[in-house]
Amino acid sequence: MAIVLVGVNHKTAPVEVRERLAFSDEASAEGLRTLVDGEIIREGLIVSTCNRVEILTATTADQLQQGAQRVTDFLDRARALPAGFLAKHLYSHTDDQAVRHLFRVASSLDSMVLGEPQVLGQVRRAYSLAVEAGTAGRVLNRLVHHTFRVAKRIRTETGIAANAVSISYMAVELGKKIFNSLKGHTVMLIGAGEMAELSLRHLVNAGASRVLIANRTEESARRLANEFGGEVIPFEQLAEFLPEADVVICSTGAPEYIVTEPLTRQVRERRRNRPTCFIDISVPRNIDPAVGRLPNVFIFDIDDLESVISSNIREREREAERAELIVRSEVMQFQQALRALDIGPTIGALRQKLQELARTEMERQRNRLGSLTPEQETAIEALLMSTVNKISHPVLNQLRRSYETSDSDAVQALRDIFGLEE
Amino acid sequence: MRSLLLAVLAAYLNAAIHSILAFVNKRRSLQRVAELSIAAGFVLHTAALIADWAINGHYPLFYLRETLSFLAWTLVAAYGLMLYRYRAQALGAFTMPLISILTFIAVIIRSGPEGEPAATGVAATWLFPVHTTLLLFAYAAFFVVFMASVMYLLQERELKLKTFSGIFHRLPSLSTVNELATMAAALGLTLLTVGIATGMLWSSTRDGKFWHNDPKEIFAVLTWLLYLLLIIYRASSQWRGRRAAWLGVVGFALVLCTFFGTRLLGGYHVFG
Repeated sequence: MAIVLVGVNHKTAPVEVRERLAFSDEASAEGLRTLVDGEIIREGLIVSTCNRVEILTATTADQLQQGAQRVTDFLDRARALPAGFLAKHLYSHTDDQAVRHLFRVASSLDSMVLGEPQVLGQVRRAYSLAVEAGTAGRVLNRLVHHTFRVAKRIRTETGIAANAVSISYMAVELGKKIFNSLKGHTVMLIGAGEMAELSLRHLVNAGASRVLIANRTEESARRLANEFGGEVIPFEQLAEFLPEADVVICSTGAPEYIVTEPLTRQVRERRRNRPTCFIDISVPRNIDPAVGRLPNVFIFDIDDLESVISSNIREREREAERAELIVRSEVMQFQQALRALDIGPTIGALRQKLQELARTEMERQRNRLGSLTPEQETAIEALLMSTVNKISHPVLNQLRRSYETSDSDAVQALRDIFGLEE
Repeated sequence: MRSLLLAVLAAYLNAAIHSILAFVNKRRSLQRVAELSIAAGFVLHTAALIADWAINGHYPLFYLRETLSFLAWTLVAAYGLMLYRYRAQALGAFTMPLISILTFIAVIIRSGPEGEPAATGVAATWLFPVHTTLLLFAYAAFFVVFMASVMYLLQERELKLKTFSGIFHRLPSLSTVNELATMAAALGLTLLTVGIATGMLWSSTRDGKFWHNDPKEIFAVLTWLLYLLLIIYRASSQWRGRRAAWLGVVGFALVLCTFFGTRLLGGYHVFG
């Protein structure tokens, strides 16, 4: 069995190309049924996301080239593309390269944002579509399950998905670093911009218990409060509520400092020195940087966040190198498992064994036959071989059936009967 | 029980190596090996202490060798609790090597009691072992305060400077280490108080004097005052955070002086 993967991703194709190739769930199921013909393409699976379209197929070892060609033709036809349109965007990988590619995709090593968690879910979805369509067979089942294992291993053993790489998520990460958990803690939004809203969403998902929203226009504050179960506080009474907040996200369009140093001193006193985390994503800044010099007050402006993010990205890149090592060793393991899975060698060995038996017997009796014409020689050879084939045919069929139904005991029994070594 | 202690040392060394590797590599399997080694080492160590007690006939906390071994044992217990309660795996990379060194010194120090006062006389009453045991557990608790304070200071500094190093992400949160330091300080102070009290009681039953004015006693009282201050400040919330953490670090320096320094200064507490 051999594996062929053909696809495009955000590195090889611009969005104009990717959008023409994208498969919806229905299109994917339908496409799989046309693509998988049981002859050249034995099994198939389509991963289609906004950043990639990958078609993963299983074929036989001697039909690798035809397999890849068949998939490319399928794409051209299914998406009605002009000939040659895809040529410079498409990549195709076979065998261990294809396995490696799939492992990297699912582990988010091939993603635009290294370590992003969605892609694994997308591969999972693609697999269940293929299972529904009946185009995931023994090879792809094995491969996809191994892929899930690899992705999980990389996620837990490397820091590829650790540490925030977006501004909106930094609030959660800083909150957790300071308060351990956001449960039981209060978040305050000063200004209700888009970025602040996104941060709030993450914070609430991470367990923040209470949400206070202060905004100059009360309408948008009200909307956010409704969505997240928060309380609207009058902008003028900010100073009164500020001591209750553990994490403060500031994003107003105000040209001056809203959170000043004297104000923070008061807040700190009323908080009995419990830490506060200020995140200032507004430009011009709304929180006086001098606030950061007070003990137990932590303040991050937009540049601080950006620089932490870029160092987190570098950290992810370092971790990705370790992930690549895991991928490499897992590809080797999978190839071994696949070889053990392959029935081809067993069939070949059995056939060869029987043919050899026939030839040896022929050698032994050859002298008694006297001189023969070449035609007679060939006839005897043909006679022997067709007898051997006739006898072995049902045996081989049984072997294939046992294999298809994953009855490895029966396969092993046949190997034992005919004395085939590994 | 030297051979048993060697096995203990092997287990702790293994735990130390795996803790460091787990710290660097973040592999759960490595951390598991480290934790299993710690558990095995602790069980063997407990057995070694009991065996020492049974064979030598005195509570195994008198000579320096015994004291170090016992100290290592209390530190393992303390680290075990931290692992269990706070999942502070990152600490292992620092604590386990230290514990290994203590155990190693305990192994190489000659076990004979020559040149040192006989243990049987002083250790006869039950008060003496209680005194020493409580104090060693107090030291272990203060070591935890120290470690937690260092972790606090490292992270607080990085949060203020806004540059996060690799170690930053591997340490428990500020509130966790803060809570850990507070708990450990309270526990340590309690143990220290009872330990000093039993020491005084023992001393008075022995020669009628509560207080000998020797360096170790003075340092112990200073230590006691400092941790009392630390707890009062933490409770009153005035010194939350960085300053309390610094106090935890300074306090441990004083603990080290009490433990080791006074050996050099001589006095009544010449042993242990």
